[in-house]
Parts: sequence; structure tokens; C-alpha cells
Amino acid sequence: MGRAAYAAAFMSMVALLAICGSATGQEKVRGVTDTEIVIGQWGPQTGPAALWGSVGRATGVYFELINSEGGIHGRKIKYYLRDDAYQPAKTKAIVKEFVENIGIFAVAGGVGTSTGMAVREYLTENKVPWISPATGSSHWTKPFNKYIFSTFPQYYQEAYVQTQYAVEKMGKKKIAFFYQNDDYGKEGLDGAKKYMEDKGLKLVAEVPVEVTDTDLKSHALKLKQSEAEVVIIWVLPKHGAMILGVCKAIGYSPQFMAASTLSDPDLMFTVTKGLWKGVMYGNFVNMESPLVKKYQDAQKKWAPDEKYTGLFYLAGFYFAEPLVKGLQLAGRDLTPDTFIKAMESIRNWSDWLGYDCTFTDKDHQGVKSVYLEKCGDNGQRIKVSDWLVYKPK
Amino acid sequence: MIFFDLIVGGLSIGACYALVALAMVIIYKTSEVPNFAQGEMAMISTFVAFSLIETYHVGFWTTFGLTLLFALFLGIVLELAFLRPAKDPSVLSLIVITLGAEMILYGLAGWKWGAKQNPFPVPFSEFSGITPGGVMITEINLWTFVTSLVMMVLLFVFFRFTKLGTAMKAVQQNAFAAKAMGIPTRRILTFTWGLSSVTGAVAGLLIAPLATLDPNMMLDPMLKGFASAVLGGMTSLPGAAVGGYMLGLIENFFGGYVSLEFKSVVAFGVIVLILCIKPSGLFVRHFERKV
Repeated sequence: MGRAAYAAAFMSMVALLAICGSATGQEKVRGVTDTEIVIGQWGPQTGPAALWGSVGRATGVYFELINSEGGIHGRKIKYYLRDDAYQPAKTKAIVKEFVENIGIFAVAGGVGTSTGMAVREYLTENKVPWISPATGSSHWTKPFNKYIFSTFPQYYQEAYVQTQYAVEKMGKKKIAFFYQNDDYGKEGLDGAKKYMEDKGLKLVAEVPVEVTDTDLKSHALKLKQSEAEVVIIWVLPKHGAMILGVCKAIGYSPQFMAASTLSDPDLMFTVTKGLWKGVMYGNFVNMESPLVKKYQDAQKKWAPDEKYTGLFYLAGFYFAEPLVKGLQLAGRDLTPDTFIKAMESIRNWSDWLGYDCTFTDKDHQGVKSVYLEKCGDNGQRIKVSDWLVYKPK
Repeated sequence: MIFFDLIVGGLSIGACYALVALAMVIIYKTSEVPNFAQGEMAMISTFVAFSLIETYHVGFWTTFGLTLLFALFLGIVLELAFLRPAKDPSVLSLIVITLGAEMILYGLAGWKWGAKQNPFPVPFSEFSGITPGGVMITEINLWTFVTSLVMMVLLFVFFRFTKLGTAMKAVQQNAFAAKAMGIPTRRILTFTWGLSSVTGAVAGLLIAPLATLDPNMMLDPMLKGFASAVLGGMTSLPGAAVGGYMLGLIENFFGGYVSLEFKSVVAFGVIVLILCIKPSGLFVRHFERKV
């Protein structure tokens, strides 16, 4: 009797499921219900890169803001932020949880090149759209990947336009490059070298530094020997601060230009005890946009206890904006395919924290421009250039 | 003139390596355990100094003293809380315990002070100083040289002329005989941790203004200090100190004249070389294993 009852119950359940399926008439999309869209992000809340963990927290505030304004086509965003401590092995586990347990529709942001690289294939295999990996590596869009949309200007492109600016606008010929000896630094170096080659010039010095190095004396001496007028630096904030100090101590004061990863003058001014004054650096977040104020107010409302509210926090909004734009364009009928199609229809979009974002079905590198700022007397931002668009010869 | 600049740079960072090496050797000699929490212990002490100065506006020298007291306390507490409870510990399990302590301290610093870089205020200029023969020796370089030398002399005097120091040496040489002579070996071991922690804290206070203060600050100096200790001899205090200075100089000359790309790696090349040629270290007369 027992077994027969179970069998009957089972059969009726199967039948019920079949009816449900045919009633809605369409396949269920992972991470999308009538009332919700599920989005995930990983980010280092602990560990060596925890400073950039603010990106993921800011994205959460942005989604709160969107939800409070009524959501997107009747759906609210449900957001999961997980700590990977900047360790690729943990990122892998998180992404597996995202896809297999939680069931997410898309990934927004995600700090770290090595952490992102560890999950790129898995996300693609599972058809998870991934908007704005939060680093300027070229690996996101080369080779072309249908599911990944990048809004972080590539280090290569940024270094190219910075070098171009130093040579063409500032009239400097002697340029040295101080870079972190890994993918991040080397992509910057390649960009600078490419521009110099195009012009028939050469960098006067290429000085690498290891991530862990605590003593930069020999690096500074090498830069001084090269007599460079401009030193472009592609390193972590720590080394950016240190090289300025050591150079000053040996009596060498060139014009420093820094990557957009060091674009928080407040932080850098404090750490260098004022030496950062006059340093130029790239930035791709439009600080003149009225949205900046709106987002800062949102932070005060939804995350009043946030410890770090500098540039990287704003970047958390920046990285998520294109995702929301895509969701709005895709309409109520939301699947990965309709979403990607909507994303690829974005052209010359500047009505956000970024500038001139264009996605096509052949190129998913949406943003290719930065502008230069200079650190003022008290660590404030002074805009020194217009948007510099990457246009190679 | 780059030669002399490299010497100044090498000795300056070498002094820091030497102190970390000394801190490691002090513990290693008594318990044969390389303490991998050494770096984070120094980092935590430096953060305490930072809080005292920035938050409570305590003067620099008072802070210096208070920080060393804190370091002493921290070392003693760690020994009592983590190592003492271990039941019939082997050297390997003690090493694993120090690794665990390292992770706890690292996490604690990130939670309490955050991951961002902080400037460490010192009453010395980083950019001006004396220039004999055109070579810049900044005030902070001088402060580093002097402090490290004073610390080394104090350690020497302590081990040579005080009762406690002699008792520590006795425990280091033969724990069993020392115990038979009525020396409280466990208490001595605990104090060893305190002393080592103080030495490390001085290193931290010297490194923070050279670099920036953040939870990762001691990662590299700790490894280099370990390398220095291996270079000079894990069981020799003067050897470890000289090893530190040597490593600082080797690194700077290698970076200045050979290759910057491999500057950081050269320390580990040196370790391999030493382990092949003279495994007990350059300044240890013969390798002797305790039975």
C-alpha cells in the first residue's frame, strides 16, 4: 500500500510539473523570476587587496538605490556579495555556489585579474553574462567573449594615451616607466612602448618592481640615472607612495604620472605626507557628473557606517551602471540572449559615471578613454586634460 | 657615486632585516622553532604605535616605550595562549601553531585597522640629512642605523651580563641541565617570546616609515629576515645580525648593477647557495644537533 501511494504521489507531482511547464510556455531563466533578478559579485573583503573590497559594497548600495526607484521592469535586484580574499581558489568556489546553488542571472564587477581569470571559462560555459570585470586587463575582451563586457579602460590603452599626452601635450621626450613585474604592470609598459615606437622614440628606462619589495633605493637610483623628465608609474599604492619618497630623498623630482589604479588623491596625499602634490594620474570616473552627488547620498542613506568612501567606492557604482542599463534596454522578456543583444545596442553612452561607452557584437571593450587629473595642494582633484581617447596609428 | 648610495640603501634596509633575523634567532635558539608569526607580531605592535600617535596624540618617544612594552606583553601572551597548551609538541606542530598565530594576527589587523596604507609619523625627515661627499644620508637612515645598533648592543649586554640573560643562554644550550640547576625553563621560554617580540617591534617601527603601514607591511621583511638568519646561522645572534646587513647590501648591489627584475629573488638564491655550501650558516663554527 505504502509503495503504491508513493508512486501515485510521485506520478501526480510529475504531472503537475509538466502542467506548470506548459502553462508558462517558456523555459525558466536562471536568476530571473517575476519579481526578482539575481546578481552576484565577489570581492576581497579581507586579505591583501581588501581596500578594493569597497567596490562590491558600493554595488550593493547602487542596487538598493535602483530598487527604491521601483526596480527594473517590475523586478527588484537581489544581490549577493561574497568575500574571496583575493584568492582565485575561493573565487572558483564562490562562482560555483552562484551558479549551482543560488542561481544568478549575471555577475557585476569582480575585483582582480587572477581571480577573474580563474572563473572566466566556467562563467562562459554556464552562459552567465559578466559585466565590468573590475580590472584593466586585456584578457576580458581578447579573444572576444560573447558573455563578458568590459568597462575598465585597458591598462595598455591607458598607458598609450598617457605617454601620448606627455610627449605631445607636455613636450617631453625623456620618459621612464616604473612598473609592477606582472601582467598589470607589463600591459601598461607595452602600451607606453607601443606609443614610443609609433613615434620613433624609446623609453629612457624601464624599471620593474616586485609586488613584495620593501626597498626601492636601487629602483630610484636607476630612474635618476636615466634623467627622465616624466616617470610613469604602474604599481600598487604602496609602491607609488614609496618611490616618490625615495626619489625625493636622492634629490630627483621628475613629473610623475600614475595609472588610474592610483586615482585616489586623498589616500595618496595622506600616505605620502603631501608628496603626491602635483602628481598626474588617469581617471575614468567622471567626477563632474551630477550622479556623483546622488551616489554619495545613497551611501549615506544605505551604508552610513562605510569606512572607505573614496574613488574605489564610486567605481562600485560605475561598474554596475552598464548592467542596469542593459537590463532596462532588454525589457521584460529577460534571457541571457535578449540581455546581450540589448548590451550590444549601447552606443556612445555618456549619461553615467563613464564616458562614451559603446558595445558592438564584435567589440566588448566599452570604454577606451581616460582623462588626467592632478593632485592639488591639499590633495584635491584638479582636472588637467579632456577625455583622452585611445586611437592607435 | 651610485656605489655609495647603494651602500647607504643596503645598510638601511639591512638593519631592519638584521633585527627581524635577531628576533627569529632568539626564539629559534631556545625552542628550535622558526616563528612564522614574527612579522605579524611586529606589524601589530607598529599599528598599536600608530594608534597611540594618531588617535591618542601620545608623543613619539612615549609611544616608542609603550609600544615595546606592548610587544613584550604580546609575545608573552602568544606563548602562553598558543604554544604552552600544545601537548607533547613536536617541532613541526609548533611551527604550524606559529603559522596559525600569524593568520590570526593578520586577520585581526585587517579587521581593526583596515587594509589601506597609512603614513607612519616620525620626528625625522625622510628627505634631508647629511651629505658627506655628495651621498645623501637622510635623518631617517641615521635613525635606523643608530636604533638598530643600540638594540643589538643592548641584546649583547643583556645576554652577557644579566642573570636572566645568562639563564636564557643556559636554557638554550641545555634545557635539561638548566632545569636540574633550578632554572624555571618554561618561564624562561615564555620570556624569550617576549624579548623576541620586542626586537621585532623595533624592526617594525623602523620599517613603517621607510615603507607604508598596512597589514602586509612585514610580509617581505619577515622572509628576508628569515633568509638573513639562515645566511648568518640560525643559532648565532651576531651571525644573524651580520647576515641581515649582508643581505641588504647584496640586494642593493644586485639591483643597482645586475638586474632589478631579480633583485627580490636574489635573497632566496643566496639561501640555496648557503644551504649547499655551509648549511649551518656563515658564522656558526660547527653544526651541532641537540640530543
